[in-house]
Amino acid sequence: MDQPPTITPAAPKTARKVLCIEDEHFISELYTRALTKAGYAVIVEIDGAKGLALAQSNDYDIILLDLMIPTMTGVDVLKNLRDPALTPNFHAKIIITTNLEQRDEVRANIEKQADGYLVKAEITPHELVEFLDRLA
Amino acid sequence: MEYLRKFTSQIRSRLFIILVIDNLVFLADWWLTEQVFHLSGLHLLLALIIVPLLALTILPWLSARYLAQPTKLIAQAILHIAPNADSATPAPNLESNHFAKELVASLTHQVYQLATIADQTDKIGLNKSSMGANTIANSLPLPLIILDAAQAIIFANEAACKYLGTTLTDLVGKNIYSVLDMSFPSENTFDTWFKDAKANTVTATHSWERVKLAPSEHQPVRLFDLAAYYNKNNPDRMELMLVLFDHTQTYSQDDQAVGFIALSVHELRTPLTLLRGYIEAFEEELAGKLDPQMTDFMFKMSASAQQLAAFVNNILNVARVDDDQLQLQLQEENWGDIVKSAANNMALRARVRNITLEYNIAPDLPTVGVDRVSIHEVLNNIIDNAIKYSGNGNRIRISAYHTKDDMVETTVQDFGVGIAANVVPHLFTKFYRDHANRAQIGGTGLGLYLSKAIVIAHGGTIWVRSKVGEGSIFGFTLLPYSKLADELKNSDNKEIVRGAHGWIKNHSLYRS
Repeated sequence: MDQPPTITPAAPKTARKVLCIEDEHFISELYTRALTKAGYAVIVEIDGAKGLALAQSNDYDIILLDLMIPTMTGVDVLKNLRDPALTPNFHAKIIITTNLEQRDEVRANIEKQADGYLVKAEITPHELVEFLDRLA
Repeated sequence: MEYLRKFTSQIRSRLFIILVIDNLVFLADWWLTEQVFHLSGLHLLLALIIVPLLALTILPWLSARYLAQPTKLIAQAILHIAPNADSATPAPNLESNHFAKELVASLTHQVYQLATIADQTDKIGLNKSSMGANTIANSLPLPLIILDAAQAIIFANEAACKYLGTTLTDLVGKNIYSVLDMSFPSENTFDTWFKDAKANTVTATHSWERVKLAPSEHQPVRLFDLAAYYNKNNPDRMELMLVLFDHTQTYSQDDQAVGFIALSVHELRTPLTLLRGYIEAFEEELAGKLDPQMTDFMFKMSASAQQLAAFVNNILNVARVDDDQLQLQLQEENWGDIVKSAANNMALRARVRNITLEYNIAPDLPTVGVDRVSIHEVLNNIIDNAIKYSGNGNRIRISAYHTKDDMVETTVQDFGVGIAANVVPHLFTKFYRDHANRAQIGGTGLGLYLSKAIVIAHGGTIWVRSKVGEGSIFGFTLLPYSKLADELKNSDNKEIVRGAHGWIKNHSLYRS
């Protein structure tokens, strides 16, 4: 696609950066497509521990976090990010994106620590974009 | 002992019943032979001898078994708590004799009192330390805990210490609620019973099934039956005795069933996520390039994928309702907004079938106390049914209003095939499907079953009116938030937690 070289009024500056920690390649591909179209910058990471390290770099505005991911579970990543001793000055919003079904009390506990909890099968990529758009 | 007395009276009444039946047999025999068959002479004599003879052999045998049953229970109960129960006689647990477990608690209480007496005799005679002679209670294979009037633990036997993964010195003096973090399958909790017993009675016995003990650092989750024996005037400060019957293995197998379903749900959802994502991508890319029929197919594909996602949720939630795991958190919500958002979710499915959704939502509705996620499923299921059973009907009317008896009522009316009167009573039963429409209309028979459980857990009721050929109207009521707020005032909790047949926390846990 051709992009007009002249008028891109500070787009890269305002584009919110999304880190998508997701090991299902086809899903991250769909999310990347929809989010990029809507003006987000997306980085995908498959591995839990590597995802945590990336998130801790504090370079992102939004973290999409799957719960069943290799080397380190999403719950552990979440705990690490929410612990000021391990991750100081963390500012990104964390959205849990999972298809895992939890006991209600477990889910409530995860929801408490996150800024959003989405069941992937219940939303389309476009609905994810709408959700992130509403997220101030 | 109250329970032994109960058993004695049970035996007495059984004996009485047997004698009455016996006499009736003789009377019936005479009446049949002489009055009905008009037998006379030798025949009559034979009939009058043979029939009673049979009655005297078979009937006593049956009666003896019937009579002995309560006695067997007592024997089993005694064997169960016997110190050398290597054979591990199970606790009597017959459903027809629901107080059998309470009998064990009572028996245990007697044993414990004997132990204390033995203890005191020992002290007088041999001047031993007081700990040593509780050996009788200690050798009970069942976990046993004794509390004083302040609900502090004054004794726990070895089995109890082992069960809780701690030591006696660690337990003594502690408040029972800080040691036993229990949840119950219904509103009938230990705490409500205990409060009631303290206020109204001198002695009381009660038992509960499927009590859950929250995991601690020492122990994993435990599931057990609990029996309690309360005695206000016990001279040795032993106000309350608790006996635990562990059933972790049996009960947790049900949990594993839910675990299996949860895993299957995850596996189903992943391809479903992709399917919905790709359909959406196609819709976007091909918009305007497809002919009307292909566009229509696209809509249908999208609606079907959405329906499949809803169905997967239904299966999971039914498993949870059945296993007392569905927990609702009731919060203040604007009901009109929720109804509209649920209906919006269904709009695509309605559109695919050329059905218009009409709204008639009263503007002055009070806020309601609902669990957002669960109540959405109720609306989804009811609207989905209305769509499925609309037949040639092309509109569905969704109404919500404030009733005279201060409830918020919501109705969903279709103008479709309707439901036969003989079918209506079964509609809310699990796996029930209307046979007349079974072949044409898909479904699992889970939606209404689930909806009913959820509505009842919210404190409301669900109903249906229908006429074949004219359509159906499904309705349910919800409590205005103001009513629930009163309940909220009485608990320290910030939100109201309800189980759809689910676990109820022992409320005293929230006392600081």
